[in-house]
Amino acid sequence: MSEITAPIETRPEEPSHTAGRWIRDNLFSSVSNTIQTVVFSAIVLGLLRWILGQVFSEDADWSSVATNLRLLMSYNYPTEQFVRIWVAAAAIFLMLGLSLGAWGIDPGFSVRRSARTLISTGVFALVVRLLLPSSTPDAIAMAMIVIGVVAIVIGGVVMRAVPKSSDRRVSFTAALGVMVGLVLAVVWLVPFGSYGVAEGERYAVPGVTVASSTKVPWTIVLLLVFFAQILGRRLGVSVGSVIRRSIVAFWVIGPAFIIFLVLRDPSFDWAHVWSTDVPMAAAFALGGGALLYALGRPGRDDLARVVGALLLALALFHWVAAFFGWYPMLQKARISFLLIALAVLLVPTFAGERSARVRFAGAWVGFMVVLHWLITGINTPSTLEISAPPFLGGLVLTVGIAYYVMLVSFPLGVLLSLARTSKMPIFRVMSTTYIEVIRGVPLITVLFFFSIMLPLFLPRGMGISDLAAVFAGYTVFSAAYMAENIRGGLQSVRRGQYEAADALGLTTVQRTTLIVLPQALRVSIPNLVGQAIATFKETSLIAIVGGFDLLRIANSTIPNQPDFLGQKRPGLLFISLVYFVVAYTMSKSSQRLEARLQAGQAR
Amino acid sequence: MSIADQALTDDLAARRDMIVCRGVKKWFGDFQALRGVDVTVKDREVMVVLGPSGSGKSTLIRCINRLEVHQEGDIVVDGVELTNDTRNIEKIRSEVGMVFQQFNLFPHLTVLDNITLAPIWVRKKAKAEAERTAMELLERVGIPEQAAKFPGQLSGGQQQRVAIARSLAMEPKIMLFDEPTSALDPEMIAEVLDVMKDLARGGMTMMVVTHEMGFAREVADRLVFMESGDVVEVGTPEHFFTNPKEERTKLFLSQIL
Ligand SMILES: Nc1ncnc2c1ncn2[C@@H]1O[C@H](COP(=O)(O)OP(=O)(O)OP(=O)(O)O)[C@@H](O)[C@H]1O
Ligand SMILES: [Mg+2]
Repeated sequence: MSEITAPIETRPEEPSHTAGRWIRDNLFSSVSNTIQTVVFSAIVLGLLRWILGQVFSEDADWSSVATNLRLLMSYNYPTEQFVRIWVAAAAIFLMLGLSLGAWGIDPGFSVRRSARTLISTGVFALVVRLLLPSSTPDAIAMAMIVIGVVAIVIGGVVMRAVPKSSDRRVSFTAALGVMVGLVLAVVWLVPFGSYGVAEGERYAVPGVTVASSTKVPWTIVLLLVFFAQILGRRLGVSVGSVIRRSIVAFWVIGPAFIIFLVLRDPSFDWAHVWSTDVPMAAAFALGGGALLYALGRPGRDDLARVVGALLLALALFHWVAAFFGWYPMLQKARISFLLIALAVLLVPTFAGERSARVRFAGAWVGFMVVLHWLITGINTPSTLEISAPPFLGGLVLTVGIAYYVMLVSFPLGVLLSLARTSKMPIFRVMSTTYIEVIRGVPLITVLFFFSIMLPLFLPRGMGISDLAAVFAGYTVFSAAYMAENIRGGLQSVRRGQYEAADALGLTTVQRTTLIVLPQALRVSIPNLVGQAIATFKETSLIAIVGGFDLLRIANSTIPNQPDFLGQKRPGLLFISLVYFVVAYTMSKSSQRLEARLQAGQAR
Repeated sequence: MSIADQALTDDLAARRDMIVCRGVKKWFGDFQALRGVDVTVKDREVMVVLGPSGSGKSTLIRCINRLEVHQEGDIVVDGVELTNDTRNIEKIRSEVGMVFQQFNLFPHLTVLDNITLAPIWVRKKAKAEAERTAMELLERVGIPEQAAKFPGQLSGGQQQRVAIARSLAMEPKIMLFDEPTSALDPEMIAEVLDVMKDLARGGMTMMVVTHEMGFAREVADRLVFMESGDVVEVGTPEHFFTNPKEERTKLFLSQIL
């Protein structure tokens, strides 16, 4: 009992030291340290001054970016249909807020640390003010001073008010509220100005805030994030696992709904839908579900394996037949046959009690419905009147392609890496060949192959849209690299883990999915995120095969507009900033994720 | 009388065979690790395997649940012969628990999830039921309060007890132990041995590779001494610790005691 009766000691206060002391200890502790400090400060300040000079120099004209913001974000989406973009954005931001809340994401910034950050921000603003070139508009120079002073004063007051030992934390809701409030205040109050055209000349109209067609939707969207976060937090507590599962489902299939329902609005041929699409989807969904349910009864493993093998043979036969053009069949029927065969082969792994079987069969039904809807949606023309065929472009295209490439190439990469480490020689050889071939070829070649060569090889009557081809190319490429990253993780799983899983009687599939992959993927996170960032940036190659991504718009569309002939620099600088912000966010969140996972299983 | 049946008391002889090894041979490449091993373990018997390092003790018990594949001879576990048929192997593995020297807990799962994983996925038990059983087992090994922790947060002795609970959750008929206390600090060895003694008293069929002579003397029904892939001598603890027959056994025991 001695442990309990012993007095609980409080952690000693950290020795306090003044800012001056800190500077002396860390920046000027020795001669070489002092030299380093001076040299690096000079370099950083010089660089900052150069950048500010670029941004605010007399001949920098940002009107090309400001005027073309819409083009950069969503390309030539028809203006009168813009409400669809906003609905899509609202859906995404709503889910973002719900996700933040439902997972209880809370960086838990301490009040004192936030105050310190505020003070440094203020100091930074003042430094920027000093380095601004003389050509900078007065309003901006003034704004820097105001921001600097206000931030330092608020930060200082908080630092004084909150005692050093306090571990008070800023609640995430409050922090988010302040952020949303700041953005809204900027959008509604700051007179950015705009450009007007008179007698063929552009001129700046000062003193106007952002157009209401932009600021009203943004206000709604941002408020949605804020309130959805609160709602998500409530729901996360009351119905946690349900809401979290629904949210994950949304992130996986939601973008498809948004693209095909909100942004594109397919004009279904309803007669065909009712006569063919719906019956076929229903047949695969219900028939497959019933089959899975029946085969999942304990003791029917052998039967399931036999049925699975037969279905697989049938499915492969359909593909062979398609290749030689023996008989026509809808592509989605072929895909569904293949999928049901794979699902039946998985039955012994997931089979069991009634509830387990209902869940497995239910997942299949849901999956089939979504898949058939998507395929039908993709194959149906859009109701939108769009001048040029690629209706998606700009940031939306960049992010969309990157998102889907990762979503699809990740499972492919997992399968490839497993094949490459498997004991079966044919899997190993096939996967190794694939990976080595792809890794030996430049991405641009793969993209050209898919967008130009592939259509020539397809069976007659089957086409592939430009975007789909690009997407396929990226996916094939990214999967090979994903596979190598995951293989690194697989090799780090110790042999004892395999033996323990075997000794418990787990099947190979169970051992892989429950024991090996979760551990391997944790190890691979940093590399996988690196790979994701690379994919995101490499989407700029879409431009070369004909897509209108950020780079193409900044590099050739805008400089070809009569108003901005030859103006490349502002656009390129702007998109660099966009790329950087997205990539940096990804990298930061992966560090968070790692820290969170590691906290769980500290060794 | 074959070497496999040496030292069978009348009581043991009357029981069912749980593990039968007949002429088991095993090569790693050109190196022969088992040179025709004959061993029979009876129902509810505790058999301790002794021998110098590299004598093939681990190899032998790992062959019994097919973590290693033997090339010649027969192994029959609870009436099921070990062949390449995967279904047989999975069946035997789910009925034979194994505890490793290095614990081999799953680091990404909590203690509770470590224990319930196999009952849920292999035995297809409902989650709630599996968790109830798991908590009972944790009570039995004395650490119910650690259920929500991750293995990395436990001491070695606690980890090994979780590993034992994890095996027991499959309700095995046989438990194999490969030097379960060799990776533990001295003060933790007793807590793990206590759990094993408890199991033995409860009538579990056990095959234990260990250097803990106290445990062998107190709990074992029979001891097997192996050297260079051969079974040299089989006998009761009394026989081993008073007058072993073979010179090699005497030498080994004199070094270790
Ligand atoms: N995977 C393997 N590949 C090659 N040789 C092996 C392998 N596993 C074991 N051996 C060899 O087989 C022999 C028996 O090994 P085993 O691990 O069974 O010995 P042991 O009696 O358990 O020894 P210890 O007391 O050190 O654990 C040793 O000589 C070892 O080097
Ligand atoms: Mg050993």
